[in-house]
Amino acid sequence: MIHCKSEMAAADADQILIGSNVKFERIRRITGYLVGTLDRFNNGKAAEERERVKHCSMDAWK
Amino acid sequence: MPLRGAGKQQKTVFELIIVRFFSVYYGVIEEGIGYMEPAGIRFIKKRDSRVVPFDITKIDEAIFRAARTQGGTDRTMSRALAEQVASMLAAERNETPDVEHVQDVVEKVLIENGHARTAKAYILYRNERTRVREMKTRLMNTLRDLSFTDAKDLDLKRENANIDGDTPMGTMLRYGSEAAKAFYKNYLLSPEHSRAHEEGDIHIHDLDFLSLTTTCCQIDIKKLFNGGFNTGHGFLREPNSIQCASALACIAIQSNQNDQHGGQSIPNFEYGLAPGVARSFIKNIDLALDMRDADEDFRSSVKAALSGFAFPTGEYASFRSILGEEGLAFVRSQLVKGIAAEEADRVVAKAVARTDKDTYQAMEGLLHNLNTMHSRAGAQVPFSSINYGTDTSAEGRMVIRNTLLAEDAGLGNGETPIFPIHIFKVREGYSFNPEDPNYDLFKLACRVSAKRLFPNFSFMEAPINREYLQGDDPDHEVAYMGCRTRVMANRYDKSRETTFGRGNLSFTTINLPRLGLKHRGDIEGFFEDLNKVIDLVFSQLLERFEIQSHKRCRNYPFLMGQGIWLDSDNLTSFDEVGEILKHGTLTTGFIGLAECLKALLGVHHGESAEAQELGLRIVRTIRERSDAQGEKTGLNFTVIATPAEGLAGRFVKYDRKLFGSIPGITDRDYYTNSFHIPVYFPITAFNKIRLEAPYHAFTNGGHISYVEVDGDPLNNLQAFEDIVKAMKEMGIGYGSINHPVDRDPVCGYTGIIGDVCPRCGRRDGEGIPLSTLKRLKGYVCDSRSSDERSESRDKIANIKL
Ligand SMILES: [Zn+2]
Repeated sequence: MIHCKSEMAAADADQILIGSNVKFERIRRITGYLVGTLDRFNNGKAAEERERVKHCSMDAWK
Repeated sequence: MPLRGAGKQQKTVFELIIVRFFSVYYGVIEEGIGYMEPAGIRFIKKRDSRVVPFDITKIDEAIFRAARTQGGTDRTMSRALAEQVASMLAAERNETPDVEHVQDVVEKVLIENGHARTAKAYILYRNERTRVREMKTRLMNTLRDLSFTDAKDLDLKRENANIDGDTPMGTMLRYGSEAAKAFYKNYLLSPEHSRAHEEGDIHIHDLDFLSLTTTCCQIDIKKLFNGGFNTGHGFLREPNSIQCASALACIAIQSNQNDQHGGQSIPNFEYGLAPGVARSFIKNIDLALDMRDADEDFRSSVKAALSGFAFPTGEYASFRSILGEEGLAFVRSQLVKGIAAEEADRVVAKAVARTDKDTYQAMEGLLHNLNTMHSRAGAQVPFSSINYGTDTSAEGRMVIRNTLLAEDAGLGNGETPIFPIHIFKVREGYSFNPEDPNYDLFKLACRVSAKRLFPNFSFMEAPINREYLQGDDPDHEVAYMGCRTRVMANRYDKSRETTFGRGNLSFTTINLPRLGLKHRGDIEGFFEDLNKVIDLVFSQLLERFEIQSHKRCRNYPFLMGQGIWLDSDNLTSFDEVGEILKHGTLTTGFIGLAECLKALLGVHHGESAEAQELGLRIVRTIRERSDAQGEKTGLNFTVIATPAEGLAGRFVKYDRKLFGSIPGITDRDYYTNSFHIPVYFPITAFNKIRLEAPYHAFTNGGHISYVEVDGDPLNNLQAFEDIVKAMKEMGIGYGSINHPVDRDPVCGYTGIIGDVCPRCGRRDGEGIPLSTLKRLKGYVCDSRSSDERSESRDKIANIKL
């Protein structure tokens, strides 16, 4: 999350690092439900997600 | 009709519990062997290695009790036998024999003295006691793990990804769940069902709720809102606006989630909310007139006329569209009685625009609510689903469009909403072909799904769904429950073939790879065994149904108390629910068809036509058996393509122990989902759809097919739409497209993120200078109100209303 006001007020924006330890969110569909963090999958589900291969590419048509 | 004499069978279950409890009590006495000093033996060693004084009266007591179960009453005899045991032990010259050995000697003495029946009873109780002791140890170990191990290190805590296993309430739920399972396995399930579940032949889903409730329900919100309803904590009046209607929809889902263990779905989302839109519109007309200082009497006469038009009986469910051409003409005809024609047009335009905005805000609120509201002791967000797509009324369309726009916008910081599951109904003449009234909404649904993974798509003309369609009536359109559950046919009451107010009672899954591995290369042997497992599943489902049947209306204050479940409005508080539960489904699931085929033929159905043919024969067999069982019992036996990869991990662990690690069968950490082509197998999207579609026709209890696509589908919406169309053409009942949805919370980028965020250039967990962030295109500190934001959103997708 970004706390604009306090950040804007800071004198030197270059000195402030934003987002340390903030992880990317990776939404995946597992057993029909979306889950925002892969940490909450059990081992079987995580393995299944890891091994998925793609059936077609959306970029090829660009 | 095996269900006759249900009460009698219930009593048997009850008696079983008494007998099993007695054995525990008996075991306590048995365990206490020790304390008094005989000649010779002075101490014995207990199971936990403690050494305690030996007490002959405990042996006497144990023998007497075993004898009494066989009608024995002779105290002197039991004492004499106990003394024999003591002297036999003394003769062994072992100073501190252990409890197990003492018990062996008791058995020996009983048999040698001709008390075979008492010996048998003694052995039986002893075994039972051992089982209970082992169960207790297992349960205690489980509870210890739940208490002191982090979720990341404990699979058990991640069984349900929507519960945070590390929070106090999440852990408490797991305690309850594990204790309940241990109790049912030992005291309530038939030993053969318990064994089959424990050993992994079958999986009894939601076992922790075995004696408590049923799985899920499709909530008809239109019926629920009509006349208002009671949540058990207060009466809620009929919704007077779209905001109010959407809030009540959330409350309905939340309340019902507390009465059942599965998910909750609304089958008629837009139909159910459309009257709320009309009520908001009538209010907004009044508001616009008020702004123009219109005369009070004129205002109330317009309001009365409009309400009379849209709600002929005054009730919510009597709704008829007023925002359509005919309705708006009527509105104008009323307005011109008091104001000029151009003025009337402005009032109407203003009211329509305001109502559209209200509807957006209501749908935005619904998404926020369904992602943040908790049920079940605050540990779980309800599993919610909404079905929509075919209502062509102006009000229904307004609901669909704004629901999609709100999903597109995401939550407060643009996050992808996890709930509800959106299901877009694809139907010819309504929402599929370019000339259909809701074709624009279908296109929008594709675009939103390409960004957010929802909506999924359900196909009304699929071979399995087509036969139920009847004109415009949404009651006869198949609706799905989130992850796949489907209810439609109704053997119990053929005049009530609807999804509304019905759901699944319970389901149990067959471990297909196990059967394949037992009969490698022997197809007929496989089918013989499959039929036996099917029998086992049927008897287990029926036993569970018996238990469920004896629950009373008052056990389900919302589901039954508020008439959500079909025909529950005919029950009084103390009535048993058995009869009306017959509207629900008893469902047999299956998992790992691919691994099963691999075991039987060496190839799966993605690899060979022969395997596909056998795969279809297997699933057809399960379906035919299920239909026959339905015919026999008059109950709705159905077949589901089981979704749970988590359970697939449980099965494969056992099978690897039994059969070793076999390539393509047990060498992965999971079994393939139901009839799916394995996720690791390279295949084109169209071939995958073509091979999976025929299984949809057999699985009347639910199914879904997925296609995985690479890259960002927003860059190629035509391809995305083509995949959805291919699903429809090939007979898929319910399907969805998976693609990566990543988001960087720091710069707000949503799309695909590899190692580095394409917008701000940071890596996972890395900080970047604020100055860099400020220079980014599209980075704004959003201080606008949600009103302002929703306005800008309207500009993004300007679709004709
Ligand atoms: Zn970024």
